[in-house]
Amino acid sequence: MITLLLVVEPLLFAAAAFAAGTRRAVLRALLTGGAALHLILTLGCLLLDRDTTAFRRRGVELLAADTTALVFLGITSVLFLLVAVHTLLWLPAANRCEYRTGNGGGSPRMLRENLYTGGLLAFLSMMSLVILARNFGLLWVAIEATTLVSAPLIAFHRSPGALEAMWKYLLICSVGIGFALFGTLMLANAGRCADGTILGLNIDTLLQFSNRLNPVWFKAAFIFALAGYGTKMGLAPFHTWLPDAHSEAPATVSALLSGALLNCSFLALIRFLEVAPVDLRGFCSELLGALGILSLATAAFFIIRQSDFKRMLAYSSVEHMGLAALLWSLGCVDYSLLHLCGHSLIKMMLFLVAGNLLLAYGTRSVAAVGELFATVPRNATVWLLGLFLICGTPPSPLFVTEYLLVAEAPLWLGATVLLLLFAVFCGMSQAFLRMAMGNCTNRQPENVPVRAAERLWPVPVFAALLTLAGGLVLTCLLNRGGL
Amino acid sequence: MTGWTEIVLAALLISDLSLAAASRLYHCIKLAALQGLLLGLLPLVIWNWQESPPHWELLLVAAANIVIKCVALPCLLARAMRRANVRRELEPLAGYSASLLIALTLAGASFYFCSRLGIAPDSPSLLAAPVAFTTMLIGLFIIIARRKAITQAIGFLTFENGIAVFGTGMMLDWGLLVELGILLDVFVLVFVMGIAVFQISREFDHIDADRLNRLGDRPVHAAGDTAESAEVNES
Repeated sequence: MITLLLVVEPLLFAAAAFAAGTRRAVLRALLTGGAALHLILTLGCLLLDRDTTAFRRRGVELLAADTTALVFLGITSVLFLLVAVHTLLWLPAANRCEYRTGNGGGSPRMLRENLYTGGLLAFLSMMSLVILARNFGLLWVAIEATTLVSAPLIAFHRSPGALEAMWKYLLICSVGIGFALFGTLMLANAGRCADGTILGLNIDTLLQFSNRLNPVWFKAAFIFALAGYGTKMGLAPFHTWLPDAHSEAPATVSALLSGALLNCSFLALIRFLEVAPVDLRGFCSELLGALGILSLATAAFFIIRQSDFKRMLAYSSVEHMGLAALLWSLGCVDYSLLHLCGHSLIKMMLFLVAGNLLLAYGTRSVAAVGELFATVPRNATVWLLGLFLICGTPPSPLFVTEYLLVAEAPLWLGATVLLLLFAVFCGMSQAFLRMAMGNCTNRQPENVPVRAAERLWPVPVFAALLTLAGGLVLTCLLNRGGL
Repeated sequence: MTGWTEIVLAALLISDLSLAAASRLYHCIKLAALQGLLLGLLPLVIWNWQESPPHWELLLVAAANIVIKCVALPCLLARAMRRANVRRELEPLAGYSASLLIALTLAGASFYFCSRLGIAPDSPSLLAAPVAFTTMLIGLFIIIARRKAITQAIGFLTFENGIAVFGTGMMLDWGLLVELGILLDVFVLVFVMGIAVFQISREFDHIDADRLNRLGDRPVHAAGDTAESAEVNES
């Protein structure tokens, strides 16, 4: 029953937040309370065994937490709590800056605070549903619902850019996921055996009888699902909505989109891969791997000389999703999950710092930001630390997974990956170092936004320490040959 | 099984073709409502009434389909249309006669494709799969070939109808919970799209999706280049 609570609890908090109106103290209590309770329930899920936590209807498991789901659930829950705490600090700061200077990072707000808080909590609920669903139909419903609740969050500020990003996100993702629905239908059709039994769409049934699926229909189903959920996950060439949405959304929403939502979409693909008949495993892995390497190449191409630092982070997400897909296609399932966890934490931290810089400077342009160490030293330190962590410098956890990827892959693939990773590193470090140390024309005086941004350090620093600790443990394990 | 299935499917096909050639938005919305009605009727006419009366879940899904897709969604779209103050799709990217021709080609291609596919012989109607493919393709075509954001929403609705026709026509069972979940998703999606259309029309004074091209990866010094964004729009 805990799994049902995990989905319902944030939804109830969201409804309460919606009803709370303009009482800010109540809203903030609801946001952190909902996030903390979700984390406690997740811990409960980790400790209890699967049969006690599962939710059944007419004897069929609808929601349950298997090992993969637990990993995703844990990272989503931790991430959401961190983002909620950051929101507590960030929203008052942004309000104060808006009040003092007349603009706190741009246009008037489209969402009132209660809608924003409610939207975040509903987003958490739908992501939990994606992670726990044990039925392909339910999985689709949940993924589409994450699009719907996160689209208004992107247009938090009613700027032309944000509205454009929201429209593209809605349309491209919905059409993409429409293909996934078609793929799911084809899967249902593949489950109609010649002897008249119908396997249905329950994941556990399909896992058990995966060899009875019709191979031709399953191939078609997988291709459609790959295109559909791949769109949501940001795999090239379906990634076109991603840089727009991630760069226009407020920092906290970008952090969640990149750190949690992309993982959830990958999980949907993983479910399809898990039920693949043995003969078709190779086919599915090859397709996934091809899209992975294409994503890596696309991201490397667009990161070099990128002029907008939030877009750069968004393309870096495309890159890491590609790497995770590549790891999965090579059969290194655990490393792929490890890579996703590491990426989620680091990318959340970077997006939050990017939001702080946006608050301080009022621009997303790399060229207009400079001398970070003189203006916002704490943010600058975390920003540079983030650069090295995301590019896989040891002891980053990403170093371990990328090393294992290159070690496992055939020579030509390993060499290509290394080359592309190097290109990404060059592109990112050029922009980051220029922002941190280069000269800048509009140097910010010690004003209200700069001081406010400087006070928003706790969550990014905590995330950085967490990642470093995890990375050190992993590197030691790697050194001893434990991986 | 007395030919009613074929009649409903043929009506769906006709509504697809008229949708491809319709220029007034109100007309498009009415056609989308008609499709919703036909989609709601489809499971009822496919059911074999002589053997047994249908169970309540089937009736509930059919009723929910008709209420949401034939009444609620068209009302939402019409409201968004009035608030955004648009009546017609002027200057579509593909003209109306050309659109009709392309729609016919798409329909022909789907029929040919499905004849090659070898649909299971126990499916209720041979027309179901080709009509579903045609509806999906024409929905996608409308999304690509029309400028107004609201027409794109109608195109998406058509695309989704096509998927639903495939599901019903091939007698694939989702289960009640998922079926209602999908309907709810589509309803909320059109609701959110309606809000987005209103906000876009307020902010930009137009709802031409092909002119939503400010975002993109331009080189630092050439800010006028929008080729990349145009690509984003199309996909």
